[in-house]
Amino acid sequence: MEIFLQQFVNGLTVGSLYALVALGYTMVYGVMKLINFAHGDLVVFSAFVGLSIYTSIFGVDATSLVAVVCVFVFTSLIIAFTGVLIERLAYRPLRSAPRLSAVVSALGAGLVIQNSIMLLWGPNMKIFPSELFSQAQWNIGGVVFTFTQLMILALSSVLMVALYIFINKTKVGTAIRAVALDQDAAKLMGINVNQIILIIFVIGSILGAVAGLFLGIYYRGVTFSMGWMYGLNAFIAAIIGGIGSIPGAMLGGLLLGLFNAMISGYISSAWAETFTFTLLIVILIFRPRGILGEVTAEKV
Amino acid sequence: MKNTMVKFGSLVALASTLVASDVINIGVQAPITGKYANEGQSIDNGVKLIVDQYNKNGGVLGKKIKVISCDDEGKAQKAAICARKLVNAKVLAVIGSYTSGATEAAQTTYYRSKVLQTSDGTSDSLTKHKYWTFFRNSFQNSAQAEFTANYLVNDRKFKRIALLSDYSSYSTGLTNNVEKAVKALKGNVIYRGKIKSGSQNFTSILTKIKSMNPDVIYYGGYYMDGGLLRAQQVQLGIKCAFVGGDSIDNPDFLKLAGKSSVGTIMINFPTPEFLPYDIAKNYLKDYKAKYGMNVASIWTLMNVDGLRAILYAMEQIKSDDTKKISDYLHTLKDYKGITGPVSFREDGERVNTKFNVYEIQKDLSYKIMN
Repeated sequence: MEIFLQQFVNGLTVGSLYALVALGYTMVYGVMKLINFAHGDLVVFSAFVGLSIYTSIFGVDATSLVAVVCVFVFTSLIIAFTGVLIERLAYRPLRSAPRLSAVVSALGAGLVIQNSIMLLWGPNMKIFPSELFSQAQWNIGGVVFTFTQLMILALSSVLMVALYIFINKTKVGTAIRAVALDQDAAKLMGINVNQIILIIFVIGSILGAVAGLFLGIYYRGVTFSMGWMYGLNAFIAAIIGGIGSIPGAMLGGLLLGLFNAMISGYISSAWAETFTFTLLIVILIFRPRGILGEVTAEKV
Repeated sequence: MKNTMVKFGSLVALASTLVASDVINIGVQAPITGKYANEGQSIDNGVKLIVDQYNKNGGVLGKKIKVISCDDEGKAQKAAICARKLVNAKVLAVIGSYTSGATEAAQTTYYRSKVLQTSDGTSDSLTKHKYWTFFRNSFQNSAQAEFTANYLVNDRKFKRIALLSDYSSYSTGLTNNVEKAVKALKGNVIYRGKIKSGSQNFTSILTKIKSMNPDVIYYGGYYMDGGLLRAQQVQLGIKCAFVGGDSIDNPDFLKLAGKSSVGTIMINFPTPEFLPYDIAKNYLKDYKAKYGMNVASIWTLMNVDGLRAILYAMEQIKSDDTKKISDYLHTLKDYKGITGPVSFREDGERVNTKFNVYEIQKDLSYKIMN
């Protein structure tokens, strides 16, 4: 039981990171019907930016709430700006082009970010200082929690709840849902679609930035090429939950994290990916739109 | 630029061999540029230092020694080109290369041309052909495995041993050898698992290992994964010992694991600054004086020992016939080397393995435990 609970905690931590990244995919897809393949690389870019901000402003040994808050705030701003920049340069010119062109443009944008990271920071692994977060840990009945894990769970839950309220209870949120439903109709209602898309990219990038920083803090080592792996996992999470659905991305992320942890723990870590993709296929066979995906009536 | 200089250098050397036969040519095949450049340059520098010292004392057999370097970039294709080039330059022996792959690619050419070769590659396959021209100046993976097994089972008396590796051939090979050696010593291997290098999250497999109550986790892979593995082991509150092979010995391991690295045990060849021999201390001092920096690693010194053994053999038998030198080297016993006694078996394997066990201290320094 102890072992199961420990695996559960491990899986939940990774799962909430997947969920944060998956939200970025799902929101862009919901509004633009575009799979933003550059998102995974943007997440990794955030980890590198955060590390540089931390070491250049506070030095390697600093540990204070101010430093951590500054790193999160500044990194989020820079990543939000980068996200908007990608939208302007790589997606907006192609908005009326066939969908395939936009997907290729997204893949290209991902490669540009990945290679920029390599050229700016070098191909070697960069290491986050352990002092950034408290290394405290608690042992409750044999199950170990660390401060970092609690922070990941807490902050990502807060962000997800805030996002849910924002989308469902505010005027801008209503506008976002309107654009997702029908861009032309939304335009006719006086909604500035370009503005809504920018907001989507800002929110998605900030969630990705937080996930990227947590990846660095939790795992300590970051390499320029790891965006693909995290991006792909988060993308699968978004599809499992139902791409386009915000609660779906959250659920998909948590499920995928738990599923991976259980497979690695009880079968073998080498099989984790095989089982993940099998799960994806099975879910798509029975629920082609994902677990929480909306069933839309065929337009005739 | 460097490459053209090397090419130019070998051309000059080639020309000079044609006019003067009172020179003995020694080749260096090393990754002077590319991923392993600092190791390759250090080997090249190290060989040149020894040759300078010999030449100052009149050379060997009354002849001056000349070094011809060739850059193989650590790649098999370039290694094959280097081999031809050095053979054409009529070298007596080649020092290198650094990687097992580049060494293996050049081996046969040297054997067919009766050119001696000494390399630090650790892959077991390097001596499988039993070429009389080849001498390994370091130790093969299986020797490290036997030492490790003996340390785990006999010295520390661990009763429940968990073994981990990644999927690379080096790591799987080393860890499989450790498993075999532990079982031969009647040790109890309770778990043998593999992690996916670069996957970062090892908590699942560690939680599984935790439930088996091991005394020790041995990891036979590289420092990037090893550092995270150790950090996550401590994070999960798994109190058992952590022992790693030669490839976790890197400054980045300490950075990745941070404070968690305290108590980690590394089994590796001695690091240069810990070599107890006067001859080693003098050599390191001379190297620093000449080049203004330290040798890159123990591998430079291993290669230098290979060269010194060959020159020593020439002086002993007073001949520059490679077959005779090889015959002598195959019976060489406890020649005083920089890295410890040098002895070769008839298949060119260096024997009398010397390994060190290091423990990482509270201030993240190394302490020798054996």
